[in-house]
Amino acid sequence: MLNIEHLTKRYGDKLAVDDLSLQIMPGEIYGFIGHNGAGKTTTLKSVVGILQFDQGKITIDGKSTMDSPLECKKNLAYIPDNPDLYDFMSGIRYLNFIADVFEIPVSERNERIRKYADIFELTDDLALPISAYSHGMKQKLAIISAWMHSPKLIIMDEPFVGLDPKAAHLLKEMMREHCDRGGAIFFSTHVLEVAEKLCDKVAIIKQGKLIKSGTMEEVKGDASLEDVFLELEEVPEC
Amino acid sequence: MLRILVKKQLEEVFRGYFYNSKKNCMRPKWQIALYFVFYALIMVGLLGGMFTGLSFSLCGPFTVAGYGWLYFVMMGGIAAAIGIFASVFNCYSGLYLGKDNDLLFSLPIPLRTIIASRLINVYILGAMYSATVMIPTSVIYWITAGISAISVICHLLWYIMITVFVLMLSCIFGWIVAKLSQKIKNKGLISAAATLLFIGLYYYCYFKAGDLIQQVITHVDSYADKIKGAAYILYLFGRVGESDIIATLIMSAITAVVFTLVWRLMSRSFLKIATAEGKTAKIKYREKRYTQKTVFGALVSKELAKFTSSSGYMLNCGMGILLIPVGGIALLFKGKMLAEVIGNMFADKPGVLPIMICGALCTLAAMNDIATPSVSLEGKSLWIPQSLPVHAGKVLRAKACVQIILTGIPMLVACICALFVVDASVPVKILMVIVPLIQVVFSSLFDLILGLKMPLLNWTNELAPIKQSGAIVASMFGGWIFTMIMMVAYILVGYKLGAFTYLIICGVIYALAALIMLRWLDTKGAKEFEAL
Repeated sequence: MLNIEHLTKRYGDKLAVDDLSLQIMPGEIYGFIGHNGAGKTTTLKSVVGILQFDQGKITIDGKSTMDSPLECKKNLAYIPDNPDLYDFMSGIRYLNFIADVFEIPVSERNERIRKYADIFELTDDLALPISAYSHGMKQKLAIISAWMHSPKLIIMDEPFVGLDPKAAHLLKEMMREHCDRGGAIFFSTHVLEVAEKLCDKVAIIKQGKLIKSGTMEEVKGDASLEDVFLELEEVPEC
Repeated sequence: MLRILVKKQLEEVFRGYFYNSKKNCMRPKWQIALYFVFYALIMVGLLGGMFTGLSFSLCGPFTVAGYGWLYFVMMGGIAAAIGIFASVFNCYSGLYLGKDNDLLFSLPIPLRTIIASRLINVYILGAMYSATVMIPTSVIYWITAGISAISVICHLLWYIMITVFVLMLSCIFGWIVAKLSQKIKNKGLISAAATLLFIGLYYYCYFKAGDLIQQVITHVDSYADKIKGAAYILYLFGRVGESDIIATLIMSAITAVVFTLVWRLMSRSFLKIATAEGKTAKIKYREKRYTQKTVFGALVSKELAKFTSSSGYMLNCGMGILLIPVGGIALLFKGKMLAEVIGNMFADKPGVLPIMICGALCTLAAMNDIATPSVSLEGKSLWIPQSLPVHAGKVLRAKACVQIILTGIPMLVACICALFVVDASVPVKILMVIVPLIQVVFSSLFDLILGLKMPLLNWTNELAPIKQSGAIVASMFGGWIFTMIMMVAYILVGYKLGAFTYLIICGVIYALAALIMLRWLDTKGAKEFEAL
């Protein structure tokens, strides 16, 4: 589903992502963990196509993000770490805007909006301007807009930040269902317990370099993910 | 602390001059210097030049007649009007709606420091514009009546009085709009309506001012006596310019007292207004029938929604929507007289009238620069268009399209009005409609390119890209320069070709330039947008 090969991204002299390679298969929830500034967001943004990278190749469902960016974007959804949506629109107008761009027929979109808005108990508030939404409501709206067009790959940057426990639980269920239907999810998180329980595979990044990746068992063995993460953080640089 | 906050705000205003956000680096010094020279040229060259001429024509006669104070009253009035016009519209959002409000209020910064920093920002903007009148006023006076140390000090105080007066009026207006906004649901609408009312009053006074100045010049003795009798404070104000120390002391004291009162009013209500959430109607969502839009339709609709949601955006970048049809209707009433004047002025140059009218309408159209800040206004939500499966060229076309629609329709109305005034052949009349419409397309694309080339994405107040960016200044004056060239070139050489051929040439040039720009937007422009 998602193949990242030798991804390298520099900000001036600083190497943000250094020769990172990852492969995410259909049906997998792939967690991406690392300390602040490790290069997680840069990697996710590069995959989505909103950040141009210096070297490497990214393919989504076999198509290169460089050669066929629109085809790739049609198959993915992105939820950023801070849901800065169009404040001047109402919730429903924003969802309709996204649905128009993804050319979702009206009957289908209405059904999906109803379904996901009901799940997150946002239906009654859809007529309100987004500027009146709380952070959590914006996050829920961003999630609905992502799920609405049934993407194959969902990229999420810290998706649980700002969500109440119930919404976080619902999101985890939706993530599992999406992958059970053959989709894939690649998301970053600092909540290691969530990653441990939810992810099929996990990758740990440090200073732009992938230092460990694989199935949860391969990465952590009998220890907890937190222990492994902290231990890896202490590895001195070569 | 105040210095840090003011520096932060000024850095934001002039960020585009110092920082290349596309390359994520500081601009080289020569480029920064070039930007400032360009800005200074526009301020000093265009505005300053205009008021130097006016000062020159008024100062001599008034000073010789012993009414130098009246010269300062008149020029001071113009300076205040220009300053108010420049600062009043951003006062409300500039003072109260900063996106960094929460951050600043949570830091151990005294509230008065935050208020002062915001006021200084509004003050600087008004003062810059007022200076384009006041500096020539002083310089011409010193050339005419001589210069002394006392005179320089008095003129400095005179400058401070006017700029503080501008600041006070702007603050009061901002405070009224803020109070109204708290009580109503649609802030954008009421803010736009209040501002439009102000603009209406402003222009009424502006047009009356021309007659008034003429009247004062003709009956200077009688007006001087009347002002002294009925508005002695204005006399004192004028005397400051003539270096009257007593008048300077009295006026300085009055300014200080009034400013203190305004400061108290602001201080008492600032926190409440700045932290007010405003009223949001509790509307429960009910599913409605929705007509699916095309991708392009959705993008245009989104841009329109952005434009109509912000009073600042509408008033600063869309004034032409009102002024173009007003200009057209004015032509219906005053057109014949205008035609006669222009006909007499350029009797030896046939076909001047259609070109002048086209040029005048295009000049009004240049007041619309909706496309210019549209890229910067994406701000932190830029990730949305960048992550959607839409070609960036299409996103940019939608931005230009909004300006084309909102300027093109009023322009069509105005052009049709103009046809009733001009006595020309049918082909010329057809071109009088077509050429301004092509110019609208050209200027919309030109404005968009400027906005794309000078993006300002990390703003904390949306007025920064709407009102204070270099792109906005360049697009407005650029539009005027293009139409000036069109008109002047006809008077100098174009008349030899005749209006028909000249209009065809203009239309072809504008159309070709528009096509080239459209091609650039679809290719290189799209890449630049993706890389923002």
